[in-house]
Amino acid sequence: MARGVLPAASVEWARAAGVVLAVLAVSQGPAPALPKAPDADEVMRRMDYLYRSKTSVARMDIAVTSPRTSRTMRIKAWTRGTTDALIVIEAPAREAGIATLRVGDNLWNYLPKVARTIRVPPSMMLGSWMGTDFTNDDLVKESSYRDDFVTTLAGRTKDGKGWLLVGTVKPGVVGRWQKLELEVDDELLPTVERSFDRKGRLARTMTFDEVKVLGGRRLPTHMALVPADTEGQKTEMRYLEVQFDAPLPEDTFSLSRLERGR
Amino acid sequence: MAVASTLRIAWRNLGRNRRRTALALGATAIAELVLVFYQGLFAGYFDQMLRTMTGPVVGHVQVHAPKWRDDHATDRLLGSLAARLDAIRAAPGVTSVTPRLWAPTLIARSDEGEVATIVGVDAEAERKTGLLELTELSRSPGAGEVLLGVGLARALVAKPGDQLALVGQAADGSVASGLVTVAAVVETGVETVDRYGVIMPFADASELLVVSDAAHELVVTGGDPLAAPELAARLATLPALAGEEVLSWRELAPEFAALIDFLWAYELVVMALVFVAAATSAANTMVMSTFERTHELGMLLALGARPRRIVGLVVAESVVLGLLGLVVGAAVGAALVTWWGSSGLDLSKLAPGGGGAEVSYMGMKISMVMYPRLDPAGLWRGAVAVFITSLVAALWPALRAARLEPADAVRT
Repeated sequence: MARGVLPAASVEWARAAGVVLAVLAVSQGPAPALPKAPDADEVMRRMDYLYRSKTSVARMDIAVTSPRTSRTMRIKAWTRGTTDALIVIEAPAREAGIATLRVGDNLWNYLPKVARTIRVPPSMMLGSWMGTDFTNDDLVKESSYRDDFVTTLAGRTKDGKGWLLVGTVKPGVVGRWQKLELEVDDELLPTVERSFDRKGRLARTMTFDEVKVLGGRRLPTHMALVPADTEGQKTEMRYLEVQFDAPLPEDTFSLSRLERGR
Repeated sequence: MAVASTLRIAWRNLGRNRRRTALALGATAIAELVLVFYQGLFAGYFDQMLRTMTGPVVGHVQVHAPKWRDDHATDRLLGSLAARLDAIRAAPGVTSVTPRLWAPTLIARSDEGEVATIVGVDAEAERKTGLLELTELSRSPGAGEVLLGVGLARALVAKPGDQLALVGQAADGSVASGLVTVAAVVETGVETVDRYGVIMPFADASELLVVSDAAHELVVTGGDPLAAPELAARLATLPALAGEEVLSWRELAPEFAALIDFLWAYELVVMALVFVAAATSAANTMVMSTFERTHELGMLLALGARPRRIVGLVVAESVVLGLLGLVVGAAVGAALVTWWGSSGLDLSKLAPGGGGAEVSYMGMKISMVMYPRLDPAGLWRGAVAVFITSLVAALWPALRAARLEPADAVRT
């Protein structure tokens, strides 16, 4: 009643893609193991390009676990640079064909069941993307580790198996995070990333593992996002296949393409 | 036959100085009228506030799954709905119970989405008591139809007949989408629903949200809103509701409960002041008109009337006067209350600058049109107070006159 029965935002797609985007563009091959302290800036540059590229096409499984329900989806995602992305749900059958298109700062969802495309309004940007722990905003905001944060090497990690880096947001950068803590292994591949909100509270933790060579790059293929505020809540993503720098048709990231599905 | 003759003389006395009698009678009548009218006004206002607060959205008692009120998570459901509704209906003191589903959604007429809230309701029941009770719907929405809150309709530039697409998250976490037709645009009086509400038949909402035999909210009404805490306590002991959250409107909307308590206390103070003012004016008139008769009473003493007889005479006069005044005052007051109670007293006309027909306060629309209600208890309270005051007010000068030496009394 009176209470603020306000939608907590429902189209819950967005977060996955931030990572999708992050995860879909990469640099060059496996990094040589560095025994000595790495350069923080270099690590961040690698992070920015670990999953990104000129273009990428990836297929992945997303599993959402919440205290009372759990579900999985298989998605296929196309990206171009850091601004364009198309994500189509392939399974389960009930949701197959539901698609999200991102062009620049705009986000559209296509619902095959009702044959409609709906633009996600700004007020829903912090809402969940497709029921996951990612927000729509995660899909749209390309935050660059290197451009947005001042990063310093904080030493070895507690378990002694890698390095801890701390990034503090640069003055004037608009974004959700004030601070990032990134742990990388000795290959300089990420293992844990902790995001702290603008009030300095831990908001979410993302772990990276199952390092494999995929699409010609050695990278963690499994990620788990755990929001700090909801107990028992988790979103996992597992890359099944990735193809980097494949030529994509010009109209891949268009509304007409969105409505045609794949 | 002393009493009868005293009454007869008293009655004749009343006719002798008609202006004085009219004045005293008027004072009593006006005092009673003011009290009756004021208490009617307050009773009506109090009812209205209670109705506004418990009415469309809150009801008297609500049942939710624990923590649903914290996060409104679509999957925090009350299962075994049919059995639970039956159990609540069978409980003593329950007038009605109706289920609701609430879920955030994105709604669009064209390709521009707007944030909205799906409200799945039993429209027939909610039109009688509940969310739709203030709307002027000629029929309930059918399958595939929705009612849009005015604010949302404005944002969507949607009108009846338009087709809208909905996309949200079902209770199982999957993406829920559907097409609906706008049956009507409604103003429920509940601000959040008017701004964001997509009200649809309960069955449609269940299907869209992949929910079966479950609801987010059960709204129970009983007889008296003020007895809601007891009703909630009784319902909480039902085995069918074990483990769920059963709360009365006082706990659901503590700010309203505090407001109601404040109103109550405030009105008591104002009522006390009105009582004193009304009684004083009646007393003043009685005292003056009895003092005025000291000379006359002295004559009676001089003629051999016993002081007791004098006092009895004055008391009889004031009793007759008081009763007459009370009857006149109560009749006029009751008539005014009844008349305004049915036609409404539009306070917005008195407001500086005209004012609106309603004000919005803490998400609730409060009408500026008041409907006073005749409060029988108020009628009696006023009558007893006015009667006793006028009696005492007449008795004091009469006693004083009766104790005077006749010679002194006659000379005054």
